[in-house]
Amino acid sequence: MAQQRSLKNLPNNDFSVEIPKGWSKPKYTNKYLITKDGAFLQYVLIQQRPIDLPYSHTKKKLNKKMLPQEAAGVIIDEIASDRRIYNFNVIENAPAVIDGHEGFKILFSYKDKKGSTFKTLYYGFISGDSFFNLRYNAAMRHYFEKDIADFEQILSSFKVVKDKAALEIALDR
Amino acid sequence: MKYFVLIIAVCCLVAGCAAPQPIPVKQTPAAMEEEQMLWRRALEEQDTINGSGVLYQDAEIEDYLNQVAEKLQINSISPDISFQIKVVKDPNLNAFAFPNGVIYVHTGILARMDNEAQLAALLAHEMVHCTHRHSLRTLRSIKDRTQAETATVRELAQLLGVTGSIASISGYTRELETEADRVGLDLTVKANYDPREVVKLFELLKQEIEIERIEQPFFFGTHPNVRQRIENVNNWLAEKYRGKITGIKNTDEFQSRISRLVLDNARLDLRQGRFFIAQRTVEKFLTVKPDDARAYFLLGEIIRQRGRQDDAAAAMKYYEKSISLNPSFPEPHKAMGLIHYKDGEKRLAKKYFESCLLLSPDAADKAYIQGYLKLCVTNGEG
Repeated sequence: MAQQRSLKNLPNNDFSVEIPKGWSKPKYTNKYLITKDGAFLQYVLIQQRPIDLPYSHTKKKLNKKMLPQEAAGVIIDEIASDRRIYNFNVIENAPAVIDGHEGFKILFSYKDKKGSTFKTLYYGFISGDSFFNLRYNAAMRHYFEKDIADFEQILSSFKVVKDKAALEIALDR
Repeated sequence: MKYFVLIIAVCCLVAGCAAPQPIPVKQTPAAMEEEQMLWRRALEEQDTINGSGVLYQDAEIEDYLNQVAEKLQINSISPDISFQIKVVKDPNLNAFAFPNGVIYVHTGILARMDNEAQLAALLAHEMVHCTHRHSLRTLRSIKDRTQAETATVRELAQLLGVTGSIASISGYTRELETEADRVGLDLTVKANYDPREVVKLFELLKQEIEIERIEQPFFFGTHPNVRQRIENVNNWLAEKYRGKITGIKNTDEFQSRISRLVLDNARLDLRQGRFFIAQRTVEKFLTVKPDDARAYFLLGEIIRQRGRQDDAAAAMKYYEKSISLNPSFPEPHKAMGLIHYKDGEKRLAKKYFESCLLLSPDAADKAYIQGYLKLCVTNGEG
């Protein structure tokens, strides 16, 4: 049973999402980050990003005319160029529909500096002037598989609230 | 508190605000203990680097770099150090040496070089950091200036890590870097390389730093700054080698040996969105290998992803050239398909996507291409 708590009321964002029971937002971050057992073990991060906001590790930028595959390419380049990420490996890069929006999903693994291995499932799409993304990151061993169903539940509850057209498509499904 | 004082000291050192005291090269019991600790720490760090997937795996290139290092080592003061040169997949301009003789060179700096003499200059500089025990001298300097006798060698070694690592990733002090430049120049000359290439390498990289506004690379960083280093080398050449400035460059062999790396590094530059440098690198590669289909495809990718007005049309010319050179190379077919697809030319897009899948039925992005094909058909242009 999903906890009836929504991030909808948090300021400056155009999305809503339902958080399953057991997940909460740590006090130390102002990001839309939720975790069950601590962010080092697993977290879900949801972002609405201005489309022209520069990235930290690649000079490439997203733009409105990009196909989902092109947007996925920019995200992969950003992550692969991050020097804190080791043994970066894209397992899957495929089209995906998120709340009725044509987007992408990337499944990848990496190691951090200490040698711990993580797996990330990253969904993203461009809508208007924003790039929305939802990612589930967890320790590859044990935790990734354990909580993937919760992430899928979060993903399916995700709605862009200002985008009425997309919302109607989602409701019709 | 002890750590805080030491961190401040390390930061001062890196900023080059004081000269470390030179120590005799001759071994002393204390030096041995400290050096053994540094070497052990170096091995730990090397294990981390080697296992992190960042190494550029090309045995032929590694062999070549090690051969050049051997030529330089003959005249070094420590012929007993076993040098080992490795390449790191990183488009940034850097190289760093561990005290045990293991030197890592970034693909970025190799890809910018024109010839073997420039490579020799870089390797000689890094080798001097090892032969002249710059890590040990830095460590001793920290100890002396903080009067932290109670700090163990391990603690000090860990603090060296604060500034980058046991290796000179973040550079040494101005004096040690100058020593590495000066003695490195001597090694380059003694190995019969043209020493004027040292200056050319500095200038080449300085130009690129300015064009791309690159974060100051450590090898050509601020210890001392690039201009000062160019001036130093010019002065040494005038004073010490006046009338004797000759030597080999080995341009053709160098370019032939590292050509694959040049193209791979251009991909890394593209990944970081450094379109200008990536384009310039591929164009340089094409002067050596003018019939390389992958290079023309990459040039097309750089132009297309740059995304300026009319870039799509310019990119298509490179993709077409790539296809003409190697019709069975699937990537330019897909790229052509994408451009036509975005232009609404579904019939042409379909043709290219189909040929891409025919050439590469298991393409990693097959799901995307199949999606495009489906839309090409449903839009009534199939």
